[in-house]
Amino acid sequence: MFQVIGGRSVQAARLLAPRSAVLVEAVRGRKSRSDPVAKSKEGRIKVPVSVDPVEMVVLKERYSEYKLIMRALRMEFKEGVLRKKYEEEMGSQAELRARQEEEEHRALMDWNNQENLRILKARIIRIQQEEEEAERKKTEAAIQREQEQQEFIRQKEEEILKLQEEAKNFVTLENLDQRIEEALDNPKNYNFAIDKEGKVVKRTVLQ
Amino acid sequence: MPMKGRYPIRRTLEYLQKGDIIFKKKVKIMTVNYNTHGELGEGARKFVFFNIPQIQYKNPWVQIMMFKNMTPSPFLKFYLDDGEQVLVDVEGKDCKQISQHVKKILGKSDEVLHAEAQAKMQASHPANFGPKKYCLRECICEVAGQVPCPGTKPLPKEMTGKYRAKMAQSQD
Repeated sequence: MFQVIGGRSVQAARLLAPRSAVLVEAVRGRKSRSDPVAKSKEGRIKVPVSVDPVEMVVLKERYSEYKLIMRALRMEFKEGVLRKKYEEEMGSQAELRARQEEEEHRALMDWNNQENLRILKARIIRIQQEEEEAERKKTEAAIQREQEQQEFIRQKEEEILKLQEEAKNFVTLENLDQRIEEALDNPKNYNFAIDKEGKVVKRTVLQ
Repeated sequence: MPMKGRYPIRRTLEYLQKGDIIFKKKVKIMTVNYNTHGELGEGARKFVFFNIPQIQYKNPWVQIMMFKNMTPSPFLKFYLDDGEQVLVDVEGKDCKQISQHVKKILGKSDEVLHAEAQAKMQASHPANFGPKKYCLRECICEVAGQVPCPGTKPLPKEMTGKYRAKMAQSQD
């Protein structure tokens, strides 16, 4: 429940403070703030173990030596680490390495630029080809359209000619009487049968 | 329950750890401009789809940005920490070719990676005992086949110090 103040402050406290003084601070254990002290512990004053001067002197001597050695070792190791780091970053090796890396980097960048140029050239050629292709297609389409127009005109002219031909056989007001006479004189018989070749096979007799 | 997404293998740890592009320390930002349609940009699309997760997994401190349909042809741009910008044209290239190209110009080479791995191995000795942060084990009781920790299971009587002291005393 009560924790002794440990560490470096103990020895100093032991020297400075009076022997029987209480050097403890309270630490919450099982009981809470409001709980009263146990009956068996009511008048208790905890007194730490009294210091033996002879032992104290010996201990002080030994501890100081020990701490000196430990501190020295720690410093040595720290210095080694720092030196390695320094060498790594700013030593002669580092400069060489940095220069080498820069050269390699420049070489790689050049190679990259070469690749880019190559692709650029290929792209230019491709675009040119595509443009030519588009031009060709356009002219072809124009020609096609012209041809179609010509074809259309030709067809229409043919139809006109055919119509003109047929117009010669039309029945007009002048031929009306003549045609009627002709039709009555030549009766036509539409009742006939044809075989698969188209030849007339049978005809009925006209009344 | 099946995995989510179109090629969910891209989200597996095994796939991500297989990525082999580890950038040099000076690469800070990577930008990919690509198009969603077009035959020539197919390689770039595949690169973005399959290889970018691997790259980001291996280079968590590199910022990678993707831009879609901003330029007629696809390209990559790297921004290094000394202000240099590296342009890589990827039109018409295959995704494998793109990743090999990137690895060649800005990735750490195999020897460098090997050397780094060696240095890391040397820094941590597996036979040391100590805090979990620095060593594999803290106490021999953690190793399989050794005496279990007396904190969890009491030692047999013959191994305890006080029994041995008692025996030694009774013998004298």
